[in-house]
Amino acid sequence: LCRGGLAERLCRLQNRERSAISFWRHQCISDDKTPSDKSGVLIVKILEIFEECTIQVAICQQLEQSPVTLSPEDAVINAQKPILKVLFARETAAHLKSRPQDVIHIYPPWQKLLLRNADAPVIMNTYFSQKVLLSEHSEAREKTYGLTKMLIRKNIISLAQTFRLDDLDDKLHQEPSDNQVPCAPQIHNNSDSKQHPLALSAVNDSLLDMVESQGAVGWREVQVQVVIQRVYCLPAREGCRSHTQGNKPLLSNGGMFCRLCLLVQDAYGMFSEVQLQPLSSTDDIEQYCRRWEGKSCCLAGMKILQRTTRGRALGLFSLIDSLWPPVVPLKVPGQSQDSEMMTTNLPPPSFCYILTVQSGEIHVEVDEEEQISNLYQPPAVHGLKEILRIDACNERCSFWAQVLYRRLQTKHNVPIDQRDILLFVTDSTLQNVVHGIPKVVAVSVTASCVLSMEIREALGAGSQLVFFKDALWGNGRIICVERTVLLLQKPLLCLAAGADLSKLTGPVRLDELDSTTQANSICALRGTVVGVNESTAFSWPTCDRCGNGKLELCPQDRELLYCNQCSEAVTTPVLKMQLEVFLSCPSRSQSTVKVKVWHEINLALFVLLTMLLFLQTYEVQSVLGKEVGLLNCYVHSVTSHPNCVALEEIVLL
Amino acid sequence: MDGSTLPAVAEELLREIKKAFQESSHGTDTFSSRLKFIFGPSAVPALDLVDQRSVTRVVAPSGRTLYQVLGSSGKLYTCYSSCHFCTCPAFGFSVLQKSESLLCKHILAVYLSQAMGACQELSVSEEQLTNILLTEEEDEG
Repeated sequence: LCRGGLAERLCRLQNRERSAISFWRHQCISDDKTPSDKSGVLIVKILEIFEECTIQVAICQQLEQSPVTLSPEDAVINAQKPILKVLFARETAAHLKSRPQDVIHIYPPWQKLLLRNADAPVIMNTYFSQKVLLSEHSEAREKTYGLTKMLIRKNIISLAQTFRLDDLDDKLHQEPSDNQVPCAPQIHNNSDSKQHPLALSAVNDSLLDMVESQGAVGWREVQVQVVIQRVYCLPAREGCRSHTQGNKPLLSNGGMFCRLCLLVQDAYGMFSEVQLQPLSSTDDIEQYCRRWEGKSCCLAGMKILQRTTRGRALGLFSLIDSLWPPVVPLKVPGQSQDSEMMTTNLPPPSFCYILTVQSGEIHVEVDEEEQISNLYQPPAVHGLKEILRIDACNERCSFWAQVLYRRLQTKHNVPIDQRDILLFVTDSTLQNVVHGIPKVVAVSVTASCVLSMEIREALGAGSQLVFFKDALWGNGRIICVERTVLLLQKPLLCLAAGADLSKLTGPVRLDELDSTTQANSICALRGTVVGVNESTAFSWPTCDRCGNGKLELCPQDRELLYCNQCSEAVTTPVLKMQLEVFLSCPSRSQSTVKVKVWHEINLALFVLLTMLLFLQTYEVQSVLGKEVGLLNCYVHSVTSHPNCVALEEIVLL
Repeated sequence: MDGSTLPAVAEELLREIKKAFQESSHGTDTFSSRLKFIFGPSAVPALDLVDQRSVTRVVAPSGRTLYQVLGSSGKLYTCYSSCHFCTCPAFGFSVLQKSESLLCKHILAVYLSQAMGACQELSVSEEQLTNILLTEEEDEG
């Protein structure tokens, strides 16, 4: 149960009530007389009983009321012996074993409810009820009745009877329709903010105050000033499709749309994640990051989406932990600013509110002209060497690295932009080391990490320097998940503690294949050809314009090849060849090394072999013993029995 | 006396809760104990679902709505808005079969979320709404 939530409060109340009820009943039984306190006691005579869903409904006549609770209206009604509908809970009913004509004393705290259609008033919370035995004769009757079960009519409630919580009065207070298109947050300068249509009250500085005032009168006008610590995109649920931004296609992550989100912090140190509108594919997350991170902003009229805790939102809290402890003293609620503020030894937050905007209104005003707030903690950028040495799990880390090779996950039933991407990156801290640490690190980008179109294209194109903001490090791997942002621009403000943001000088070197090489990594190798897997050899023509490997025969001229992607004949196809060779590599002499090499005839790295294949008249003998120079490869698998390494030749970006 | 009493009582109670929440953001303990009295063992779990904002109101352009509640086990249950129906097994047993309860905790959570303004909103296409309803049918089939 949520601490401090409604459910917990009810639980505690329930426990108190339960012990009070059992104590009261015990007292009645042991004293064998009714308690002397008669004030507020309701005395009723049962006329009719029926049951609805384990609650016993007794139509009763009110007999008399103690003078304390008698009011002028009651005095008049009393004369006519008013009718009441008294409800008894299952347990109370079992205890009472009421029959028509029985007289029941109902002790406080019972409650009265008046229904709209002016029916008889309803009495509930009748836990403290007792049957009154009028005479000795009835006591005997009671005992005999106890043995025979009385049949009580049970009303079956129709499922069609739903509850209407609205009425005419409520419509005045109703919130505006959610069909309105949300406005994109405008980039205000100071003059615009004066013309703001919302009549906003004084600015608050506590998120908790704003959250607690939800639903109260005027809560929409409450403004909170917070600092934007991080800006990122979260994949949203598909339902956002109806919110179209003009006719621009929304930035999609394969069927999931993306919302711009802010992680904000108030002066008391409390965090909140604010989910804003969906982003279109032309929106630049980099722009928002650069212009908004570190600035103060005013939130107004937020709706609480969720109150989440550490256990339920590990990703969010790993980001919050990276921003803890705060770099400036925090305010302490309830104390004036002159008093000493606590900053040391404060435990990191254990809960966080997720807020969202109400549709149709502008709620986030970022003061871009203002300076960066003191509370802002920019991402701490480290060199990859340092990150590999971190001895913790699920730590957020930021670094600047060069992408060498990209590999897409091969699941074909998943759309391309929803597949995981494996990147191999390096920086100068890894390249300049002689031995002991790997030269290249694998970074896994999951589908939940939102990548802009620009980044996706850049990752596939030439060698890129990419800034990875708030990636996760754990279990010896770096992964990019929700809330990680990949940027092409160098961050303006960052704590470059030991980071080396210089470009790489000289060619990139990969680790050489050895006994520690693992699957799904990249390495370089050299060796001698000891065998050829003839069954794997094949070649195929590809289009020289677009690279399409599935060429067909031209319908007009059966001797020409045709590319249906270019819709033209291919006169000079590029021949691609694939072959598996077995090498003996001195760096890993115990294993059989199997390398799938493929070449376009234009790149004659492995010249002799390609020539032989093309001519279809090769002799394996002439290939054996040839030296293979430093080849860059991707390791498919490493097995110990048999001791074999299967690789594929790759080309670095 | 014909006609049922309990639904009218439950409706009035929920209306009062809604009014109280609109005026001040806090419900008093009076409502909690009344909820417990009327709805019995569903009350605390329903309030827990409200605390965790587990209720989503799903709307299609035609105006058709239904509710989806994320149960404590992580399963998503669908509640209809036009009548009292929920896809959870407790509903089938306690409400339909034994007529022991008016509502299951999910439907109660839907009403409480409406009353307290704690419903999440989700707009979907007609097709998506239909799919949600059809999936339920397939599971039961």
